[in-house]
Amino acid sequence: MRLKHIAGLLSAAAMSVALAGGASAQQAVKIGVVFPLSGNAASAGVHGKAAIETAVEIINTGSGGLGNLPLTSNAGLKGLGGAKIEVVFADNQGSPAVGQNQALRLITEEKVVALAGAYQSGITLTASAIAEKYGIPFVNGESVAANLTERGFKWFFRVTPVASDFAKIYLEFLKDMKAGGIKTDNVAIVHENTEYGTSVASVITSVFKENGLSIALDIPYAANTTDVQSQVLQLKDKKPDVVIMVSYTSDAILYAKTMQALDYKPPMIIADNSGFSDPSFIKTAGKLTQGLFNRSSFAIGAKGTPTFLINEMYKKKSGGDDLDDTAARQMQGFFVLAEAIDRAGSTDPAKIQAALKATDLKPDQLIMGYKGVKFDDKGQNVLAAGLVIQLQDGENYVPVWPKQLAKTAPALPYKGW
Amino acid sequence: MSSILVQVIVGGLLLGAVYALFSSGLTLIWGMMNVVNFAHGDFVMLGMYVAFMVWTLLGVGPFVGAPVAALVLATVGVIVYFGLIRSVMKGPMLAQILGTFGLALLLRYSVFWAFGANFLTLPGDLVGGTYDVLGIKLQASRLLAGVVALLVTLGLHLLLTRTSLGSKMLAVSEDATAAQLMGIRPDSMQAIAWAIAAGATGLAGALIATFFYIAPTVGETLGIVAFVTVSLGGFGSVPGALVAGLLIGVIESVSAYWIGAVYKDIVVYSLFLCFLWFRPQGLMGKM
Amino acid sequence: MRRFLWPTVALALIILYPLVFTTPFQQRLGALILLYAIAASAWNIVGGYAGQVSVGHVVFFGCGAYASMAAYSHFALPPMVGVPAGIAASVAIAAVIGVPTLRLSGHYFSMATIAVAELARLIVTNTEFLGAAVGLSGPTVPRTVFDLSFISALPYYYLFLTVLLITLGITWWMTNSRIGFYLRAIKDSERAARSLGAPASRVKLYAYMLSAGLTSVAGALYSMMFGFVDPESGLGILISVKMLIMAALGGAGLLFGPLVGAAILVPLEEISNNVLGGKGAGLTFVVYGAIIVIIARFQPGGILALINRLWAKHKPAEAPAAQGAPHAP
Repeated sequence: MRLKHIAGLLSAAAMSVALAGGASAQQAVKIGVVFPLSGNAASAGVHGKAAIETAVEIINTGSGGLGNLPLTSNAGLKGLGGAKIEVVFADNQGSPAVGQNQALRLITEEKVVALAGAYQSGITLTASAIAEKYGIPFVNGESVAANLTERGFKWFFRVTPVASDFAKIYLEFLKDMKAGGIKTDNVAIVHENTEYGTSVASVITSVFKENGLSIALDIPYAANTTDVQSQVLQLKDKKPDVVIMVSYTSDAILYAKTMQALDYKPPMIIADNSGFSDPSFIKTAGKLTQGLFNRSSFAIGAKGTPTFLINEMYKKKSGGDDLDDTAARQMQGFFVLAEAIDRAGSTDPAKIQAALKATDLKPDQLIMGYKGVKFDDKGQNVLAAGLVIQLQDGENYVPVWPKQLAKTAPALPYKGW
Repeated sequence: MSSILVQVIVGGLLLGAVYALFSSGLTLIWGMMNVVNFAHGDFVMLGMYVAFMVWTLLGVGPFVGAPVAALVLATVGVIVYFGLIRSVMKGPMLAQILGTFGLALLLRYSVFWAFGANFLTLPGDLVGGTYDVLGIKLQASRLLAGVVALLVTLGLHLLLTRTSLGSKMLAVSEDATAAQLMGIRPDSMQAIAWAIAAGATGLAGALIATFFYIAPTVGETLGIVAFVTVSLGGFGSVPGALVAGLLIGVIESVSAYWIGAVYKDIVVYSLFLCFLWFRPQGLMGKM
Repeated sequence: MRRFLWPTVALALIILYPLVFTTPFQQRLGALILLYAIAASAWNIVGGYAGQVSVGHVVFFGCGAYASMAAYSHFALPPMVGVPAGIAASVAIAAVIGVPTLRLSGHYFSMATIAVAELARLIVTNTEFLGAAVGLSGPTVPRTVFDLSFISALPYYYLFLTVLLITLGITWWMTNSRIGFYLRAIKDSERAARSLGAPASRVKLYAYMLSAGLTSVAGALYSMMFGFVDPESGLGILISVKMLIMAALGGAGLLFGPLVGAAILVPLEEISNNVLGGKGAGLTFVVYGAIIVIIARFQPGGILALINRLWAKHKPAEAPAAQGAPHAP
């Protein structure tokens, strides 16, 4: 009953917006965004916020010059008579309960027409559950836990590639390297034991196993640890050919510093995004991890390209940090949502949901290196893809694989400091 | 013994010395004044940021940064004592937890507000590189922290046992009223104790900053280790904190290497609980 | 009967609240206050009345939350079926850790409880059956009303209110029984109470077990409302601390102290987050922390102790207000 009532109210509101839209273009479209803006993951949340603000500025000013990227050539949303987008940010404080409360507040108090967020998979889970109950579209650009799209939700859409996609990228990359005469038989995986590290590591392990590659050494560790010497010594002792690392920023920095202190350089390190993509990792430990491989779906690109220009705008909001993969995925998720609202020509959640389901974006309409955006029945983007990048000079990641997307060849062995 | 195992143990000892270093201030306050300081980890964090500021503004390392951090934190300690602790101590023990927990949030997020959420570090070679002694790697910055930990422990121990200031402080902690009758001003003694404890904590923070990352939330990670170290060592026992710190460091290091890094804290907490069963006053504490 | 007047008025106001403040967020805020009040009131039995400052109560909260979610995830039962199991597990754990730790004095007891809670969190993080790091989820869509998964917060509000009243009733009954008498004696001076023949260890243990069982109900209700539990949200140390500071802020060892504490802190947390959280500058916790510091600084005995004192001053003829929380041993 309640749901119908609210849906009714919302569609009434939507109708009045649509009616008003013709007369005045000033009625803003409100979108709620839930991020970790305090607590341990705040660094990621604050960068995500800057990314969304950049996207809003691009859409609302519409100054053009960004290629085929949708919504960039005219001010506001054309489908809604040039209506501007207004984003309401909320802090999930790193807690699933707070995330859910804030999602509820955004829906019922702020009357947002759609939600985005919430970075940590566990919080995306609870926040999207409330959106599902209220019938509000929830678009996620960054959380990778597999179970998010296995819940049979009708209002949840995920744009980012997930762990199984990365695992395949790593697998193909290693096969290619092996074909080039590089030893890749002995793989070790070091991962933190929260939901992120555990799920990514187990997916990588099973995908590798299916393809006849076994993980010789599995080193889980507790996140936000005070010390990683023992883990590094274990690696030093077992001498794997390839080390795959799954860590958040704080631990990533500790690993970089400890490897240098204990003088350990594996022949190849592949880092799984996250902490290793954080601009503060590159600033603080980049020079200690030259030659580190990482996965990404984003590259800043050459001067003058749309992604380059977007990065310039982003830097003004982020305090000079470059757009990293995570923030870029968040931004892409937001663009997908905005494009769907524009195409729906309405702020009625059901119409936005229908538009999201019909989303079919081509690679040149994206800032990310995906093959496109198209959702399956579960709400997962089936065209999400990624590439392998390398921190060759310790300052900037460059795409190195696959060949057609590479800027330069992969440099081996791992250089370190 | 294989050289790797020696390296594991040496690493554990150096880590343990660091634990001891940032726990000595807590044991002083906790043991002497019966005040649980939930903001202790955030004092360490402040020390790290002071060291970072000294390096960015003046371009000098921890040899200047650590004394400056000690001074700044000693001042903070005195302010916290007169501004909060003095009145909170008159209330129930819960009020101390309430007050210092609020203080922890206040400090943590004031720094967050001022410096942002980004992770920072000091350059790795600020103290010197890594020494190689018979194949064992010794990081200069950790070695320095270890040596200072020993010096601070020794200094605090001598202060408490061999100086008249120390005996006055102990007298106040035993019985403030009686001490007052002897002409000792409990207020000044406790303010001095807070200055010393917070100063030692600031020193610890500045030294840890040379090989750790710096972030507003780092106090959370370090605070709980300090709590375990202090209660294992015995509340108020400075030498106890040193022994307990070294013990925890080695146990963590060895169990992480042999059993697995996810289990190291399980091992530490289990051993700690078993130990409390047999010796509830800690290694060197009084009942 | 005058002393029942104000509680009755307060209860009437509490019952009417969600009918006056009807937006979903306001109702949910009310429900959250009651939920935290249940947990803090349960903590109050051992922390306030028995004077044993447990900083590891989250372990019982987690028992309730995990038992409920496991009942759904593993057996497809309504989560509430797990409640008795959660209570049983909590009481058992309380007995096992209470026997050795309750003889520890003051800070050592607090430290031991922190260690137990952290140990529980670490073990659950590595236990596949309990969802390890990923956690356990409840029913995404309610199957029957027994799943207690509602869109509106209104049913939760009255459910929590009922449980809170039961918790407070048990607490009231306990304080007026022989156990309560012993507890007061022990809190004043354990040695004196023992020498007069009070079975101090046994009484403290009973209080601890009772408190544990009630805390696990709070955990179960929490997991049903949010439909999810993971090691951080079900066993994180912050939840223990929250129970403690709510009781301390309101007035530990007072029947309505935890409720008053929750009624101040929960809205403060939510409102400061709503107003300041979106700015991403950490100001939420600057304000929140500062207010806690100010209250601790000027009112170390808790808000309710202040109200009682003012009340007693205002009406000197009334019975003296209840005593504040225990002093550190």
